[in-house]
Amino acid sequence: MSPELERFPRNILVCERSNFLNEKSRHGIHVSKHYFNYKVSIFIPECGILPAGLSSVIKSFNSYFLVQKLPVYKLIEEVFLDEVVKKGGFYALSHKTRIDEDNTIAFLPSGQMILSLDKDTYEQLGLEGKPSLYNHRNARRYVVTVDFTDKSMTVGGKRYQRVLLGLKERVPLTCDFLLSRYSTGTDEDGALQGLLSQYSFEVIRPAQYSQTLRIVPCPTLHPSDLQGKAGSCDPHQFLEWLGSVNMGIRCDNSASDFLSTYVCPEPQDSMSQALLYTITGFLIPEDIQSLLQELQRYFDEPKFSPWLSLTVHGFVDSPVSWGTMEHGFLSSGENFYNFVCFKNQDYWLHMATGALDGCPP
Amino acid sequence: MEEPATFERHVYKNASVYHYMKMSLILEDESKRLIAAEFKQLIVSGLRDLYGEIGAAIPFDLLTFDESTKTAILRVYNSGLVKLWSAITLIGSCQNELCAVRVTQVSPFLLALCGNSRETELD
Amino acid sequence: MVRFKSRYLLCELCVSERNSLQLLEERVIYHAVRAAVNRAHGDYGSAVCNIGFSVKYVNAHTGVVLLRCRKGHYRLIWSALPFITGIESRGQRVQCFLNCLHVGGTIRTCQKFLVRYSTRQLHRMLLHCTSEAERREVRKAVMSFSLKKRREDGEEEEEEEEEDDGCGAGVDT
Repeated sequence: MSPELERFPRNILVCERSNFLNEKSRHGIHVSKHYFNYKVSIFIPECGILPAGLSSVIKSFNSYFLVQKLPVYKLIEEVFLDEVVKKGGFYALSHKTRIDEDNTIAFLPSGQMILSLDKDTYEQLGLEGKPSLYNHRNARRYVVTVDFTDKSMTVGGKRYQRVLLGLKERVPLTCDFLLSRYSTGTDEDGALQGLLSQYSFEVIRPAQYSQTLRIVPCPTLHPSDLQGKAGSCDPHQFLEWLGSVNMGIRCDNSASDFLSTYVCPEPQDSMSQALLYTITGFLIPEDIQSLLQELQRYFDEPKFSPWLSLTVHGFVDSPVSWGTMEHGFLSSGENFYNFVCFKNQDYWLHMATGALDGCPP
Repeated sequence: MEEPATFERHVYKNASVYHYMKMSLILEDESKRLIAAEFKQLIVSGLRDLYGEIGAAIPFDLLTFDESTKTAILRVYNSGLVKLWSAITLIGSCQNELCAVRVTQVSPFLLALCGNSRETELD
Repeated sequence: MVRFKSRYLLCELCVSERNSLQLLEERVIYHAVRAAVNRAHGDYGSAVCNIGFSVKYVNAHTGVVLLRCRKGHYRLIWSALPFITGIESRGQRVQCFLNCLHVGGTIRTCQKFLVRYSTRQLHRMLLHCTSEAERREVRKAVMSFSLKKRREDGEEEEEEEEEDDGCGAGVDT
């Protein structure tokens, strides 16, 4: 009737199925390339308390730093650059900046700096960049990517000086930052601590929240039926159900109810209890990798649980989703992935992105 | 024990049938209470004002309604998203009192509504 | 400049008593359709259909009504027509329903359709006639169809004349 009223934003869901023991399995790469994660949820049916192994892995998660009013050029000064940024494992994201309104700065563990800037800042800064992939008609947003590991960006070189001067004098960008460093055990944090001591900062441990749910209807899943064509429910229904469990939404409505007609997807089993464990903070992929490895070991001993699920949410205001793929915020900015692990070490991986995003890898 | 899996990959574009909206109702008198059915009726009347009887018949689910904070999560078919969102935006009064509905999150995935990195206080 | 395209909805007003058709006026139909669109499609539908909507032709004898609207949103008006249960005029309320016969791009196509439709109806009435006198009347009426062509400002308007001897009841498709 009115076709323009029936449009909706685009969304993409990629579903992969493989086995953890398979050599060519790419689960490790997908996890390590999703740099900025703010929330991790573990859902284990037929489980009451968090297993000891998982508990110790979560205890060993990295703390992260929230620094107030840090000038960006401080992160690319010679000493810090050589000691921290170029060594790898360094993650930084500007805090409380919105990707569709403000300037956003991110440092990737590969030694790259991403600046997502509005038009005025970009023109004043004068660095080489590209218009955003998600500009509607006029170019209003630009993305500057600086690769400090590139040969042309050696400290003291012309290009490096240009970047440093731009951020120091032309447009002195300053904002709050979330910083995290993957510590390999050796004490290399001298430069980082030195920087932090000049500004007001907090050391924050990831927040944890545990919930044991009683009498939960769960969909029955067959490991070989990823698409939901032969007995299981389809991926969208499964993710919808997982969301309802996370938020305590009732699934026992009838089709004629006034308020809601939502039901758990068929076929379903009723679990007497389930564990929902949530970790929030500035979480790095290395920690999530170790968590995933521990979850694989969950089924080493016989358990009642038929499967378990791990959901990882990315920051909606991050300038990248996977790798250096540009990410934008239209009405939701979601970029999350979800593992479903089965007893035989099979796994399903769902990766979802929204309207202003590329297709997940 | 089933055979270990071979690799499989599927890409679904725009395959989510529903969109989910998280919103909160703001009333002049904050202490006033509302039950879920009243809130749903408010939205249906908003749809009726803007889109008539046919608009009021757009099926949507009130998945959850928290009476103390007056926040709700709605589920609507893709074709009804724009109409529902615009009708909600224009709701001005509830039971003869001024009110407004603030939409905080909209997503094609319910899972994405579990948290909001824009509002989560990390410190 | 590309012109605004229109759609013409050729409708027929069906009433139980043919005499009440005398009340028919452009203004009465206009208000009835607008009220129906407002009820069925709300503020949005009203606002969108109001642009370029008009009642072009009303025939009080046959109950033929021609509505004009913009091409982009004619479906909104079309879908609201079944919700009209009556029209009000000069204090009287007449129960009726609007039966949409044809949707055309110009008045000329609607007129052509109406000619074909009316001849089909009269032929049907011929079959129902019970006496020879009635049959002669109907044949005379069919033979006396004429089309007057009038050109005005580049837009072709055709008028169709038809004689109805009142032999049949309300037409029914």
